[in-house]
Amino acid sequence: MILDAHGHIGSWPDFLIPDPSAGGLVAMMDRLGITAMGVSDLLGVGPDAVEGNRRAFEAAAEHPGRFGVWQVYNPHHRTPLTDRPGVWGVKLHPDVHQCRLDDPLYEPVFALGLPVLAHGQTDSPWSDPAQFATVAARHPEVPLLMGHTGLWPYGFARAARLVADHPGVLLEVCGSKITGRWISRLVALAGAERVVYGSDACFLDLRAGLGRVVLAPLAETDRDLVLGGNLARVLGSRLA
Amino acid sequence: MVDAHRLVGPVPFDDLPADPRPDMDRLGIEAACVTHTLCLYADPAAGNEALSALDDPRLIPVPVVVPGVPGAGVPAVLDEVLDWDVRLVRLCPERHRFELTGPVALRWLAAMAARDLPVAIDLEETSPAALRTLAAEIPDLRVLLLNPGYRRLRAVAELMATVPNLWLEIGTVNTQRGVEWLAERYGADRLVFGTGAPVLDDCGPRFLLDHLELGAAEVELIASGALRRLM
Repeated sequence: MILDAHGHIGSWPDFLIPDPSAGGLVAMMDRLGITAMGVSDLLGVGPDAVEGNRRAFEAAAEHPGRFGVWQVYNPHHRTPLTDRPGVWGVKLHPDVHQCRLDDPLYEPVFALGLPVLAHGQTDSPWSDPAQFATVAARHPEVPLLMGHTGLWPYGFARAARLVADHPGVLLEVCGSKITGRWISRLVALAGAERVVYGSDACFLDLRAGLGRVVLAPLAETDRDLVLGGNLARVLGSRLA
Repeated sequence: MVDAHRLVGPVPFDDLPADPRPDMDRLGIEAACVTHTLCLYADPAAGNEALSALDDPRLIPVPVVVPGVPGAGVPAVLDEVLDWDVRLVRLCPERHRFELTGPVALRWLAAMAARDLPVAIDLEETSPAALRTLAAEIPDLRVLLLNPGYRRLRAVAELMATVPNLWLEIGTVNTQRGVEWLAERYGADRLVFGTGAPVLDDCGPRFLLDHLELGAAEVELIASGALRRLM
């Protein structure tokens, strides 16, 4: 079972996404054998989390079982959140929202206890991996996925070190700068049970993201954990 | 299958394989256009010399050219470039701090175009505006644009639309269905498989190539046919 931890639907202002559709994602997931993907709508990451979350739930309803919803929480707007069926958790984007991951404004999210997927970016004032360690120490019971594992290759090993003693933090590996080799290194550094596949599609191409894991130099048992086993463990009954 | 964009040699900022062939074997890549890392991170002349010593038909040498006034260029004089037995050369105007559309570079590149020698340039080493100027000055010069990325897809598409002698390496065309979008508009015969490995990822682009939603003939063009025609 392949589970994609980090997906999006919708367009984004910074650049052209030729196919931002949910239907396009599902068609490609079918071809690639991806069971399900956790998505947030990019409008929700941007200025309108309420409408973006509505769109994400709508896409999930149109494609039953194929999309879990990462509800976007905008700390400035105090976005309403739910734990209804189909929810995988909460998506935080400290950089877009310009609110540090360790800011108290996020405490209502962590208090819910839902899994959290947060953008992580080495040396960012908003989402440096050190902030994941801070938050994980406050809320060890909350599964916390570090999106992009810090994004920049020079920070991957540091990111793994910073959260080594926080088993609730998983390293999610999507991003345009990561390589199959680095995914293999992260498995060696952090353990296969701490690394989670994500693609960032439709922001990025689903095939490139999956290919980095499928073709990475990994033992097959480790690859299975990265591709879906670890996320299934975190999500538990939410996958049903 | 030929990777149009690969490095051989060590890099100073990471522990990466200096020899690309084991990864090429693992990923089923038969040959690769390679530039020596010494060309990028040390001395271009030393890198070109190391490249010429490789002597492996799987590794297609792509030496670096630095156009310059006497005493500033690599190689020392333009005639050496024209005597090289190579099928593609690489330019790094940003790294080597020369003007891609300055009078010296234009003279060198015009001579290379006359010899039917194409050039590869990383988009991060130049700009769309400079590439358009270059194409206007030397319309016969064939250019392989390396590492175009995905965030500048609109600008890259404009280049493809306005510069007929521009080919595009797809390794970092990394937004959803971006390669198909380009192929539909500008033709698969102008798209080239490449990776930028080992600094950039080779696993994702290799997998993408196997799963493109294009016809077999178009995929074959991207895998190697377009590059063979370019070179």
